[in-house]
Amino acid sequence: MTNKKIVYKPVDPEIAELVHHHGGTQESALEVLKDLGAKNKLNPVTITEAARALRIPAHEAYGMATFYSMLSLEERKKVLRVCDGPVCWLKRSKMDSGRQTMIDEWSSMVNGQWSIERTSCLGLCDRAPAVLAEDEQAGPVNPKDATKVCEGWRGVPTDYSQPRKGEVRVMTALIGKVNPDEIDSALAHGVYAGLKKALQADPATVLAEVESSALQGRGGAGFPVGRKWRFVASEKKTPRYIICNADESEPLIFKDRVLMDTNPHQLLEGMTIAGFACGSSEAWIYIRGEYEHQARRLERAIQQAESKNLLGENILGSGFSFKIHVHRGAGAYICGEETALIESLEGKRGEPRLRPPYPPTYGFRGQPTAVNNVESFCAVPHILKNGAEWWNNVGATHESHLPATPGTKMYMVLGHVKNPGLFEAPFGLTLRQIINDFGGGMLDGSTFKFALCGGAAGTIVDESLLDTSIDFASSQKGISLGAGSFMICDQSVSPVSFLRELLHFFAAESCGKCTPCRVGTWRSLEILNRMAGGQGQQGDMEELQTLAALMQDSSFCGLGQSVPIPMKSAIEHFGAEFVK
Amino acid sequence: MINIKINGQSIQAESGQTILQAAQMHGIEVPTLCYHKDLNPTGNCRMCVVEVKGGRFLQAACVTPVWDGMEIQTHSEKVTKDRKLTLELMLANHPQDCITCDVSGECELQDLAYEYKASAPTWGSKGARYPVDSDPNPFIRVDMNRCILCRRCVSACAEIQVRDVWGVAKRGFDEVIVAGANVPMLEARCESCGQCVAYCPTGALSNKMNYGMARTHQVKKVTTTCSYCGVGCQFDLLVKNDKVIGVQSNPNAPVNGMALCVKGRYGYDYVHHPERLKKPRVRRYLLDGRPKTVDGQRSTVDGHWDWVEVEWDVALDIAAKKFMEIRDNFGADSLGFLTSAKCTNEENFLMNKLARQVVGTNNIDHCARL
Repeated sequence: MTNKKIVYKPVDPEIAELVHHHGGTQESALEVLKDLGAKNKLNPVTITEAARALRIPAHEAYGMATFYSMLSLEERKKVLRVCDGPVCWLKRSKMDSGRQTMIDEWSSMVNGQWSIERTSCLGLCDRAPAVLAEDEQAGPVNPKDATKVCEGWRGVPTDYSQPRKGEVRVMTALIGKVNPDEIDSALAHGVYAGLKKALQADPATVLAEVESSALQGRGGAGFPVGRKWRFVASEKKTPRYIICNADESEPLIFKDRVLMDTNPHQLLEGMTIAGFACGSSEAWIYIRGEYEHQARRLERAIQQAESKNLLGENILGSGFSFKIHVHRGAGAYICGEETALIESLEGKRGEPRLRPPYPPTYGFRGQPTAVNNVESFCAVPHILKNGAEWWNNVGATHESHLPATPGTKMYMVLGHVKNPGLFEAPFGLTLRQIINDFGGGMLDGSTFKFALCGGAAGTIVDESLLDTSIDFASSQKGISLGAGSFMICDQSVSPVSFLRELLHFFAAESCGKCTPCRVGTWRSLEILNRMAGGQGQQGDMEELQTLAALMQDSSFCGLGQSVPIPMKSAIEHFGAEFVK
Repeated sequence: MINIKINGQSIQAESGQTILQAAQMHGIEVPTLCYHKDLNPTGNCRMCVVEVKGGRFLQAACVTPVWDGMEIQTHSEKVTKDRKLTLELMLANHPQDCITCDVSGECELQDLAYEYKASAPTWGSKGARYPVDSDPNPFIRVDMNRCILCRRCVSACAEIQVRDVWGVAKRGFDEVIVAGANVPMLEARCESCGQCVAYCPTGALSNKMNYGMARTHQVKKVTTTCSYCGVGCQFDLLVKNDKVIGVQSNPNAPVNGMALCVKGRYGYDYVHHPERLKKPRVRRYLLDGRPKTVDGQRSTVDGHWDWVEVEWDVALDIAAKKFMEIRDNFGADSLGFLTSAKCTNEENFLMNKLARQVVGTNNIDHCARL
């Protein structure tokens, strides 16, 4: 061993070429690994070679290859990813027949060219039950449709061109009116008018306008967008970067997909305005790997915008240049956490960073970075176009009173309602309004039992909160807005089984960095599995509560800290069902 | 300087310090596990969480900077409860084999479990997930069942030895530490320095050569300077029954800290090697005063060229006599002196004096230049 002769070998030319093709730096690592995976060539030898070519330690490349769920070291055929999220679970006929049954059912129905894999959530909640056939989104589809899916049938996409009664459409106003793949169509409908107006002003004015609009971040936390941009703009370090968080991986949430799908230019416009206001000239859209369709649409839109000089060098002769890149993720919910997203964008495992420093001071490549949600960026052009004051009053058209939070919000209503799907409305709706006015009421034969509000990490509420007005502050009252999704469950759903589904998701998506989340989610799932199967034991409830408290207090990042929200609220409202 | 309060006690801290640093500066103890003063803190393990007044969550003391007016509780009921539970979550997947574990007695996990009265829960894998002694490395014993994923090995390898062997693979509950792309350590650029072993707080990484030979309370630790090269690393020899059975990093070593190279850490078996030379030896013909050769041929007399063990004085006399003969017959520059990196500075200095002043030649050099 000590006398082993070490012979230098150049990197495998095929891998060297691949790495070169993707840019040759660590930031391209994920793309390189994905390409190797697509060729079924992901193994310790190729990973080590790729790492050499990328000039990173082999363990980093291997750590990534085993971190992202879309990458696999096992040989695969064409991959059919079956959504295992809670919405699809609810839509499956045999809810409690177990995951393996679901996989087996699909496996037995597809032809031999396909491999079946479970995946945490595809972001196709309005098309549940959903699958991803290679890159193509399909739904609603059931195992009995497998043959058709293999042949290219993709189910029926939800049509949002007609507003629901009571909707106030701002960001969704052009759905069905513009052709998302034609910039001329977008321009004819006034997209980019906000940017043009912004470019005629100076960055300080634009920033002040966004600040006075009091636009709050739409990712779930509700941090004021203008304040975040102010932090970035006032940093002395350059270059500064803009990042759009399009990693929408939380079960129940699909608004960003619809926004990107129906009007990609609106997002590009919002990001460009952000770049102008923050003094940035480069931006990335970090889009989850499962949204390949939307990623391609965005790339096409970027090309078209560049050809019209609405992006690129010296935009419309203003002297301001801005470039937007599309970066695909590869299957990791945690990458929706902004620092994990930045890590992932830098070509690492998507693990959250220590905070402080926060991204506005130390973000992508260590530079000042503004990370905002798709919906946040989509709201910006309208604020610029119509003014902050208009935005402050836009909600008033719905009700006679003015909601506490200005502007409109994308809502998603799912589950046992007549008209599940997405709509845009002002803040301050109540759950009853969401169900009855927008969701068309409960399904026939269904009575409301509980709702999961916000997103997977939201609150589980019973009917006592049906009339509480919901906004970013209402989580104090026990009902959260989060990213704006509401999953309505009727009497047939056991809150225990439902919570188990959520924990299944979180346990599968925990990055593993900190102890409370890594083991706490796993153990909570174990208990809930037992409880849902009627095998609850003495002390289980106490243990769940203890674990929830630990995860909330001691976890490293927002993922672990928010897993206890549905746990605690479910126990609070339905404690009796847990001890049955 | 800024003013903070820890456990009600007003103290001064330097701005930019972490809570842990401020606490330690004032002798306030905060338990740590993934933190090590030599390594960049990561905040993974959550043992050092403390309560900060006004904070929604507990904060990891090792990574949270202090701010003016901060009020911290290091041992509130909530904090100690969370620490205990965190320990239990670690112990759930840790084998219950302290009774046969090599590092029992100097295991940080064990100490903390003892301090917080955390016992292993009834659930969990109990360390049945990975093969024991899974790596063929001749010096380092790997048992990932005992790993608590603190990642100190990863940091030590990357930051101290800069070999980047260890890394983190998979995610969530399946997360595991791997070498390179999940290959044997030696294929992942490992040079067996054992830094990872020195920083591992549990028995996940331990030393193979003395595995099962003694535990910490059974050995005497003798601090010494490494005999291999001129760097002068210090470490502790582990001595049991007057035998050196191992080497352990001494964190107070002024030159090297915890770091050692493969020779310093694992090249100690020569000490008790049966073939080790302990006394000088000379050829028999020198003792007998006979010529080395006859007509350019080796003498055929039996045993003429044998090595004979002698006392130092005898050997040195012979050497000195030979040196003088050469100098007198052929001139001082016919001699050259080559000193060793294994000698101390003082020894090298004396060798210099011997060459230049006693023998009278400038032909002196040192192996480190070769």
